[in-house]
Amino acid sequence: MTAPAPVELDRPDTEEDQSADRPWLAIVWNDPINLMSYVTFVFQTVFGYSKAKSEKLMLDVHHKGRAVVANGTREEMERDVEILHSYGLWATVKRDD
Amino acid sequence: MSSVKKVRRGGPGAVEVRLEPEEAALVRALMGQLQELLGDPPDAGDELASLGIAESAAKSDDPVLARLFPDAYRDDGEASGEFRRYTEMGLREGKREAADIVLGSLGEETPGASGQVRAVLDRDQAQAWLKALNDVRLALGTRLDITEDWYDEAAGLDPDDPRLAMFAAYDWLTMLQESIIRSVH
Repeated sequence: MTAPAPVELDRPDTEEDQSADRPWLAIVWNDPINLMSYVTFVFQTVFGYSKAKSEKLMLDVHHKGRAVVANGTREEMERDVEILHSYGLWATVKRDD
Repeated sequence: MSSVKKVRRGGPGAVEVRLEPEEAALVRALMGQLQELLGDPPDAGDELASLGIAESAAKSDDPVLARLFPDAYRDDGEASGEFRRYTEMGLREGKREAADIVLGSLGEETPGASGQVRAVLDRDQAQAWLKALNDVRLALGTRLDITEDWYDEAAGLDPDDPRLAMFAAYDWLTMLQESIIRSVH
């Protein structure tokens, strides 16, 4: 799975600040039904990613079992996952840790 | 089923799908079954439902519905439930609509002289076909407990095994979906 290079942030002191600052991830999981070409098409359509980037992510899903396909606020990631579910992809939201 | 090329580009952004009458009948039947599985839209008088919010939303015991509407959080049942409450109704509606679009594009066409059913799809319609075909494949594949080695499994089945017809339908839908992806890409 390809993840963005880890970024060192100054860790806030309180638990509350931490959860506000840390990004959330949308993850797509491998499954035996969705076609590789379809998953690539969905990444291009939903995220506007290039064909090369979409294929790379698709292959990560296929070979590594999952891939992080987007990151942002929790609300943004829930929205992305909802759209991915509308295409039948198996996607989940996770806090980046 | 025939192996004649079924899908081709039909002008800018458009896709043309040609099906044998029995293939069109299969797609219609499967779209009907998908809609039956998805259930009816909520009553117009239900205020919460009119906002797309469900009273409660537990993951379905039916493995097909559980696959069509998976948990959005792997280790947080409460967050998954809340997500489901706010999204599943809209997702169901979208899936019903996509199946409707497929049925509509097949229904308007009477078989031509060749006996084929011809549907010319614009970009949005082609997208609806891809989604609905995918949902039907997810349903069939989940019922068949498909793995990545399903082809070997199907090849080893007894000729009388009732699952053979489902495997054949799954295989054919896979080919059709792949052809449409190639045409819209």
